[in-house]
Amino acid sequence: MKKSALRQSLNLGVVFGIVHVFCVLVGFNTLVGILLAKLVGVTTTGSTPATGALVAYGALLALWAGLLSARHQDSTDKRLLASTLTGLAMGLVAAALALVLLLLVKNKSSVRDYLTVLSLPFMKACLYKLTNAFGILANFATFFVGAVVGGLLSVLWNLPIANHIRQAISNGWKAATAWIKSGSPRANNIKKYIFFVLLFALVALLPLKWGSYWNYVMGTVGLYVILGLGLNIIVGLSGQLVLGYIAFFAIGAYTMALLNAPEPHHLMWGFWPALLLGIILAAISGLLIGLPIMRLRGDYLAIVTLGFGEIIRIMLKSDVLTTFTGGPRGIQDIHGPTLFGRAFNDIDYMYLIILAMLLAIYIYQRLQHSRSGRAWMAVREDETVARASGVDTGKYKLLALMIGAAFAGLAGGIYAARNQFTGPDEHALMASVNVLCLIIVGGMGNVPGTLLGAFTLKGLPEILREVENFRMLAFGALLVAMMILRPAGLIPSQRPTLTLPEEPQESTPPISAETSEEKKRGGVK
Amino acid sequence: MKIVSRSDLRQKSEQVLKFVRPVLGIAVSLFIVYRLVQVLFIEHTYGPDTWTRLLITGLILGGVYALVAIGYTLVYGILFMINFAHGEVMMIGAFGGYFVFEILKVIQVSSASTNFLNAYPVLSIIFAFIAGMFISALLGYFLEKIAYRPLRSAPRLVPLISAIGASIFLQNAVMLLFSSQLRNYTNPDILTRGNGWTIVINNSNVVITYTGVFSFALSIVLMIVLYTIVRKTKLGRAMRAVALDKKTAALMGVDVNRTISQAFIMSGALAGAAGVMWGIHNGMIYYYTGFIPGIKAFTAAVLGGIGNLPGAMLGGLFLGVVESIGPAALGIDYQLKDVIAFLILIVVLIFKPSGLLGESLAEEKV
Repeated sequence: MKKSALRQSLNLGVVFGIVHVFCVLVGFNTLVGILLAKLVGVTTTGSTPATGALVAYGALLALWAGLLSARHQDSTDKRLLASTLTGLAMGLVAAALALVLLLLVKNKSSVRDYLTVLSLPFMKACLYKLTNAFGILANFATFFVGAVVGGLLSVLWNLPIANHIRQAISNGWKAATAWIKSGSPRANNIKKYIFFVLLFALVALLPLKWGSYWNYVMGTVGLYVILGLGLNIIVGLSGQLVLGYIAFFAIGAYTMALLNAPEPHHLMWGFWPALLLGIILAAISGLLIGLPIMRLRGDYLAIVTLGFGEIIRIMLKSDVLTTFTGGPRGIQDIHGPTLFGRAFNDIDYMYLIILAMLLAIYIYQRLQHSRSGRAWMAVREDETVARASGVDTGKYKLLALMIGAAFAGLAGGIYAARNQFTGPDEHALMASVNVLCLIIVGGMGNVPGTLLGAFTLKGLPEILREVENFRMLAFGALLVAMMILRPAGLIPSQRPTLTLPEEPQESTPPISAETSEEKKRGGVK
Repeated sequence: MKIVSRSDLRQKSEQVLKFVRPVLGIAVSLFIVYRLVQVLFIEHTYGPDTWTRLLITGLILGGVYALVAIGYTLVYGILFMINFAHGEVMMIGAFGGYFVFEILKVIQVSSASTNFLNAYPVLSIIFAFIAGMFISALLGYFLEKIAYRPLRSAPRLVPLISAIGASIFLQNAVMLLFSSQLRNYTNPDILTRGNGWTIVINNSNVVITYTGVFSFALSIVLMIVLYTIVRKTKLGRAMRAVALDKKTAALMGVDVNRTISQAFIMSGALAGAAGVMWGIHNGMIYYYTGFIPGIKAFTAAVLGGIGNLPGAMLGGLFLGVVESIGPAALGIDYQLKDVIAFLILIVVLIFKPSGLLGESLAEEKV
């Protein structure tokens, strides 16, 4: 085994050790422990999970490290050696952390004023309730054994027998997909329709069964789908990174609120006119904001729209506009629509949101495959070329911004009416970033990706209540990781491609300084 | 026929824009002059003492902005990417200094019968700055290595999104580690906040705080040091070469990756110093401390011409002063001071994207 490979395994161990230290310091290990215990069916009392769950957390992390470490080696003994070294390094880092924790526990010194999660019970739990040298040893053993097991798994995975099994599984998968795709186009269409009818029946029936809490959560997911589709038109199709997107949502929400709340104005226009006006106003503001900034480069555009979004939020929050917009406290008691004389309840709202969502999906699909959609994609790929081919780039960019803004206005209006409240803090920059995250995670520029993204980022955290604190942390890490590993998202868009096999892909040969990292990337533009 | 008519349309719209832009510019400047005259000579709302106070506050703030802005400009000049997480680098630097002060506060010095912080104040401050700058430089280095380097050849928006992700991650990591409460910076007694030299203007006292003078002077010194490094040393020459043309620089024997890392380390160290200054002067830090100053510093960098070091310094000072004096001078609510900064950003980006001094480190950007 070469020296560099040895160092690599040790480095990997240290990196994972640092990840472990970070996880402990933010309390992520207990979260994983609680989730693992929940998965097995053990209910946790208090904030720290059972010792077994924490051991499982450590072992899983080490297992991952061991697998990663063994992956790059090409023979059995090298794999084992690499994973052992990684486990050693990781175990030592974990043991050092355990030593520090032990000292803190022994001296009964509390560092909670500075590191909030390190309470005495928490530290004891991290030492597996062993407040002596065995605690350190147990920590070391967990990570060491975990990594070695990872290495063993990697060895098993690469044995000839495993190869056969893998082959069989992939053959089975292929056969299954082939069966779905087989048959005449007509039969495929029938299958598709059956699928859609089933899905529709599910969507139509679920709101009745869910209860108000789940209707609320899934309604939020639905509204974020609309927002995501709107932003997808701007970012995914026409390729302009707009960071202040939530400002259009705010315009929709505030239009609904000002026209239908008793407090600042008592206008009481009713839900539908206000919704329509909100959509129109959002689209007009998209046009007005778009006109001056259309000539900007990608990242300048991002910053300028961020500035616009912040200006709108600061204006809403300041006392200057209090008489007009309710100021920092927001607007309460927004009246919603009525159905045969009674106000909408949660089920009605859910159906309204589903209808709006289906409408948005329909419009999006039609737009994507229309002339405008192709023009947007041309602008996204290369603006200069698009203009040279006769696409009026300015017009289409403005159109994208307007339609995207209109989607946000629709979502904003329904959101304000359903929550019966809107305030400036709902429209902060982080909300824009959330929408951006969901389309990036799901996959830019396509509907299934947006659905998946909205559910992952808005629905999943509600199901896993415990992760609430770590949600934004995970968003941040996810954005970086997605950009590096899968810039096209979980469900990448299929884009029309035409390849010429003989032509070399890159005409300039790579130059020393940038060789190792240079990869050809599709994805976001 | 259709294409011709379209280009006609564009020409017409360009003509309209050409007409509209100066009209808008004149209208806005007339309004500003009108408000200034109104406030200064007709209403007499504030006396010269208040103006002096605002100017001093603005200059101190501007020094911090300038230091952070240099970091944006340095990175943008070389990589053409907005290091969105730069504000967070500053915030973490502030936390580094905070923890040094907290530790030194606990250590008792028996000979002076007081704690280390007050027994050796100069040494403590130096320690705090070293710790803050070191942590920030380290963070800048790893940020580049983990979040930006793998994306160097990707389309332009990919690193920007990665930077936004890094920014969110760092903010929330700090929030989870150190909780979301505001933390009070403990200064050594010689730098007690609010103490300072008093001068009398218009029969009222104007205090020039020690912390303010200290941070302004230090920021000027650091700027001069950085400018000398970039202009006079071998490292600076390598940076400028990489900023101009990476491939050619590599052919001339410049280690491009190393140079980029060094740029990140330097910008991180400056941001760390700015963070410690922010803590010493303003007294309160928390996980969101870096975000708004970060965006404003970016505004300052754009204002001066991104990629242009003296531009970033002047832009920072200018923005600090405008933000401090602006609300009073224009007679608008003080809550809207951030709106002024953002409006300046938007106006500069729309009407003069190359900034006031022009972009000098790099030439081709599209």
